[in-house]
Amino acid sequence: MNQLLLLCRIAGRNAAIPAIRVQSVIEVGEITPLPGVPPFIRGLTALRSQALTVIDCSVALGFESQPDTPEQRAAVVDIDGHLYALLVDAAYDVGEARSDPIEVPGGFGAGWQAAARGMVETDTGPTLLIDIETLVSGPAAQAA
Amino acid sequence: MMDDLLADFVAETREMLEASGGEIVAWEADPADKARLDTIFRFVHTVKGNCGFFDFPRLEKLSHAAEDALADCRAGRRDPDRALVSAVLAIIDRISEMTDSIEAGEDYPEGGDDELIAALQPSETVEIVGEPKQAPSAPTSADTAETAAPKAARNSGVQRSIRLPTELLDEVMKGVSDMVLARNDLARRLREAGVQPEIDGPFDRLSTILADVRTAITRMRMQRLEHLFGSLPRLVRDLSNELGKQVMVDFEGGEVELDREMVEMVRDPLTHIIRNALDHGLEGPGERIKAGKRELGLLKFAARQSGNQITLAITDDGRGIDTERLAAKAVAAGIYSQSEVDAMSERRKHYLIFEPGLSTADAVSAVSGRGVGMDVVRANIERVGGSIDVVSKPGEGTSFYLKLPLTLSIIAALTVGCGTQRYAIPRSYVEEIVFGSSEHVEFAEAGERQLVTFRGKRVPCLSLGEILGTETPDADSWQYKTLVLVRLASEEVFALAVDRVYDHEDVVVKPIAPAVMETGLYAGTTLLDDGRPMMLLDLPNIAQQHQLVNEMRSATRVVEEEQVEQRASHPIMLFTALDGRRRAVRLELVRRIDTVAREAIDIEGARAQAVIDGAIFTLAGHEYGSLPEEKCRLLRLSDGDCEIAYAVQEVLDAAAMDGDIIPSAADPAIEGVTLIGDKPVPVIDGHALFARHQSAKGSAHTMTCRLPAGSDWARTILEPLVEAAGYRVATDAAEEADVAIELAEEQATPAGPARRVIRLRPEPEAPDDTQDSIYRYDREALLAALKLARSGKTA
Repeated sequence: MNQLLLLCRIAGRNAAIPAIRVQSVIEVGEITPLPGVPPFIRGLTALRSQALTVIDCSVALGFESQPDTPEQRAAVVDIDGHLYALLVDAAYDVGEARSDPIEVPGGFGAGWQAAARGMVETDTGPTLLIDIETLVSGPAAQAA
Repeated sequence: MMDDLLADFVAETREMLEASGGEIVAWEADPADKARLDTIFRFVHTVKGNCGFFDFPRLEKLSHAAEDALADCRAGRRDPDRALVSAVLAIIDRISEMTDSIEAGEDYPEGGDDELIAALQPSETVEIVGEPKQAPSAPTSADTAETAAPKAARNSGVQRSIRLPTELLDEVMKGVSDMVLARNDLARRLREAGVQPEIDGPFDRLSTILADVRTAITRMRMQRLEHLFGSLPRLVRDLSNELGKQVMVDFEGGEVELDREMVEMVRDPLTHIIRNALDHGLEGPGERIKAGKRELGLLKFAARQSGNQITLAITDDGRGIDTERLAAKAVAAGIYSQSEVDAMSERRKHYLIFEPGLSTADAVSAVSGRGVGMDVVRANIERVGGSIDVVSKPGEGTSFYLKLPLTLSIIAALTVGCGTQRYAIPRSYVEEIVFGSSEHVEFAEAGERQLVTFRGKRVPCLSLGEILGTETPDADSWQYKTLVLVRLASEEVFALAVDRVYDHEDVVVKPIAPAVMETGLYAGTTLLDDGRPMMLLDLPNIAQQHQLVNEMRSATRVVEEEQVEQRASHPIMLFTALDGRRRAVRLELVRRIDTVAREAIDIEGARAQAVIDGAIFTLAGHEYGSLPEEKCRLLRLSDGDCEIAYAVQEVLDAAAMDGDIIPSAADPAIEGVTLIGDKPVPVIDGHALFARHQSAKGSAHTMTCRLPAGSDWARTILEPLVEAAGYRVATDAAEEADVAIELAEEQATPAGPARRVIRLRPEPEAPDDTQDSIYRYDREALLAALKLARSGKTA
């Protein structure tokens, strides 16, 4: 309870990532493309001497890629020793969850259902709590 | 063995001393603290146990006494007081000093032990317990100067070492990498700012220091191979007992250093190779004596460092690899057909040992043959960027050669460019770099497979752009590429076409995310000097993905590398002739495959010629049917002196001609008919072909043309035209040219002798006095005259 969340916008919807997992929020600079990878991986970007795998969250959820904004934000997370930059539409704030994650009747819809741990109440309204492990394995893993 | 155990004992004691150092201090502050008491009790207890194992009576006596006293305290029979604490500490100090002596291989000065033990007794006099700290040093201070001096020397001689968690080392390494990046960034800015002596000097010094620090950090991760070797004699002993064999182990190069992680990575493969050697390689004593060998088998390990690589050879003097049985197993397992196996050389057959699912042991023994085979060993070695090779002689033994990079994380790489991106290739795979535009490099296609011929070797060629999907296949772009000849650990060779080769550099490789790994294209990532990421290509996997591994095993390795075998099975090239029928030509005759425009082929009566890259070749093969309308495929055949262009409809494939050629008397153009894939294929008779066209050899040489000297127009406008018509421009004044072109307005004597003269005039209309001149921009007429000169000579 009262988990801290990074409140952000993914594919035009309110979403949240557990703040404890987020090392930092960065402005993504130059992205080195990786030929041959699935589309939800945008490429690599460097953060100091580390290479981050850039995940396009919208595409990873099965949506279209959002148009690039000049200050593209990404949440840096460490999953199994690999660093990822989770590209979001926008990252607002860090806020407390006002409830436990709950399911809603009928689910959250295509794409969201597999990656969402549930809906949580926040000060800015209901928000989907996103499972980052699902996010970095991409749409294919969700379908499986 | 004893030395290793001793070293372990010393290391363990040291480690415990360090760990309990804080406990001892804390216990001193509060002697009633039970937890501290337990820790110290465990320490002396362990030392006592270890001493019993070795022959260290003094250490044993000391630790035993301390243990007894502490046991009394733990049982509540005695209260630990300051006196006891001091006495115990004195004993611990003495243990520490004695351990140092043991490590240095010297004797600890006699005496003083009994006083220390007496100090432990509860009811003893206050004088002794009052000065417990002096007690341990008493023997030393009481000693003469001679003994004190060696002790000091000994201390400085002992290499001091500390144990650090690997994570801390990695952290430091990362920090240094960051510093290198920052330095590079700064270097770029300084370069842009121009020469500034007052800054450049210190900056250079900083760079040098940084490079040294980086080297030192790398060395911190190194471990001597003897650590690995140390555990092997025991393994060999246990295994040979189990198998009833007698084996002697020999080590060489234990001082060679390898990255700690790398040492751990090769432990398992090495164990497997040892099992394999003991189980399959080395014979039992009886068999050895019968074979005239020493009863005792020999297993030799030799390590050698060369540059950034370590070679580790594991050699046994056993019976060698039974290639026949191995081959039979491969056939039985369905990996190769009998004919494929028959075509293999001995050396090629040795490599079968690395095939998955092969084990030469007929019965599954406890030692090896559990289904985990040498293929796993090979995969594990290749995963860390190494390679494995095997050499075996029947009756004499087998050697496995492991080639390993010095570290897991730093590899020597070649950076190449493809599109706008850079990629790294492990340098150990790179055999040679050649330019596609080089005249020694020839491209050809066989079906969909691009082939490149270089120095007599024909290997498959892959375009990096196509592999990565950033480029669409384009037959014409090959010559603009740079070819990196890659030899994989498994000896497969292929050419990787890249846009550019940048540099050799040592790169720090980091693992990549699983989703990226899944592409099978990349093995890791590294950062460029400017901080941008760069991917390390996974070449073995790429080769596998493009079916190069198996294909080359059956074709290239046999065709290219085993020349002896090549002659035995006669490779041929299959093609469809102009009449649509399949024919074949011996591959040795084929120099290259060209595609020319229809206009480049000139057939007039019995004379048939083709112009390829400005040279004229006698054309053959056209008698079978009509030429295609636009482009025409030509096989360029050579007998070493003379070349003939052979027109074909389509080039099919290279194949091996295993069977005999049945001669055919009816058709003089063919050598005979052979069976390829159960179908008869006529093989064209190279001898007859060249014999028939030998007389035409003179015409096949490039015609020369002399151009007016000192004319810019001739050089810039005329020369390309003349060359395009298949002439070479004569530059030697003494040489008799086939044709000379002269300018009508210049009455100067020709620059040199020529058989024929073409005169060019500046005005379109011919003046009355000169009939045989051509207007200088009348391209058609000029080309016709050049062509006439050519055919006139042939006629």
